[in-house]
Amino acid sequence: MSIVASPLHLASPRPGLLGALFAREPIFAGTALMMLAMMPPTLLAMALDARTLDGVNVWIKPLKFEIALALYLGTLAWFAGWLPAGYLRSRTHRLLAPAVAFATAAEMAWIGGAAHMGVASHFNVATPLAAALYPVMGLLAVTITLPSLTMGLALLRSGGALLSAFRLSLGLGLTTTFVLTVLVAGFMAAGAPGHGVGGTASQAAGLPLLGWARDGGDLRVAHFFATHAMHFVPAVGFVAARTLTERVARRAVVAAALGFVALVVYAFVEALMGLPFPSLAFS
Amino acid sequence: MNVDLLFSLSGSLVLAGWATLLAGALIPSTALRLWAQRLAGLAIPLLLSVAYAALVLAFWHGAPGGFDTLANVMRLFDTPQIALAGWIHYLAFDLFIGAWIARRAAEEGVGFVLVAPCLVLTFLFGPAGYLAFSALRAARTATPRSLAA
Repeated sequence: MSIVASPLHLASPRPGLLGALFAREPIFAGTALMMLAMMPPTLLAMALDARTLDGVNVWIKPLKFEIALALYLGTLAWFAGWLPAGYLRSRTHRLLAPAVAFATAAEMAWIGGAAHMGVASHFNVATPLAAALYPVMGLLAVTITLPSLTMGLALLRSGGALLSAFRLSLGLGLTTTFVLTVLVAGFMAAGAPGHGVGGTASQAAGLPLLGWARDGGDLRVAHFFATHAMHFVPAVGFVAARTLTERVARRAVVAAALGFVALVVYAFVEALMGLPFPSLAFS
Repeated sequence: MNVDLLFSLSGSLVLAGWATLLAGALIPSTALRLWAQRLAGLAIPLLLSVAYAALVLAFWHGAPGGFDTLANVMRLFDTPQIALAGWIHYLAFDLFIGAWIARRAAEEGVGFVLVAPCLVLTFLFGPAGYLAFSALRAARTATPRSLAA
């Protein structure tokens, strides 16, 4: 009887983009799917909960991390389709992928838990527990970022001088994401600490959703661009590979990567000077 | 969004789910039963679960009470949002069990007159309906085929 069959059909292959992601790298795809699944309750909690932190709803931050991690892990799963044969079966990947899934769950438990209690997660050293957790979370955050390095290096090494412009863009984008993100976020955690430079602590007056300060510097701008190198550089590579000759396309990819590094440095220095991004006028 | 609105929304949603289950049990249409299962066995319990999760995320912290004593469990329900979460918990899981009962009943050929009281009982008093349906199944299994036919 057909009505007896489970209405879920979880065992059947998933169609569309999600199915493609699962076929390429199931652990990253599955973790990205979990992040998507957390969005509806987070959004409803935001609608129900009136508590604020730094002038914005306490659930904004978990929502931003769910979006960002879903995009990041979904991108990794997608890029896994271009990895050299054998990488996904390597010891590096087989150890790293479950570690990334665990670290993602732990980060979300920490960020969501802090929102639940109405306190800050990052930069919170107010209680002994919060102060003890913060460095552990930094370690987990580096773990989450690590596959962008290992996948990027595997791509860069895969073709030698014959590496196609698109694979080059994937490799450069991923490695750039790792190096710049760890530098910027590490500075925010250890050097600053915090993301605001000057300005008020309130985020209510910041850019929509992103919350970037409009009345002072904000190191999250540099973090944002650093982490999105893995999207920008491959996007350039994708277009260049289809419109330019291979040699010119490779140069365009290298130029795009260097240009993007310059943008991150610019956003970083601008934030340190206490200026909002983008700042056209001198304030 | 306020809790009273969420309360009435959940009520309407769960009523729609129960209506499709009863209709599916009454009318011998495979398509209707499939839709009843999709709504009452999947979509509506999932929506209610989202609402439950959101309420617990937003209001569990700081709510007085706990799970350890009856008095503490009763204190949990002093917080309107947590009481609503508890109510949605009943609604979601009772409907899910209702869908399971409807599925089993169709599978085992239990007639509408027998399954409908079990569904109504589950709708009103959850576990009592599950108990009734389990007793009904036990009775049917024990009855020789020649008598049941």
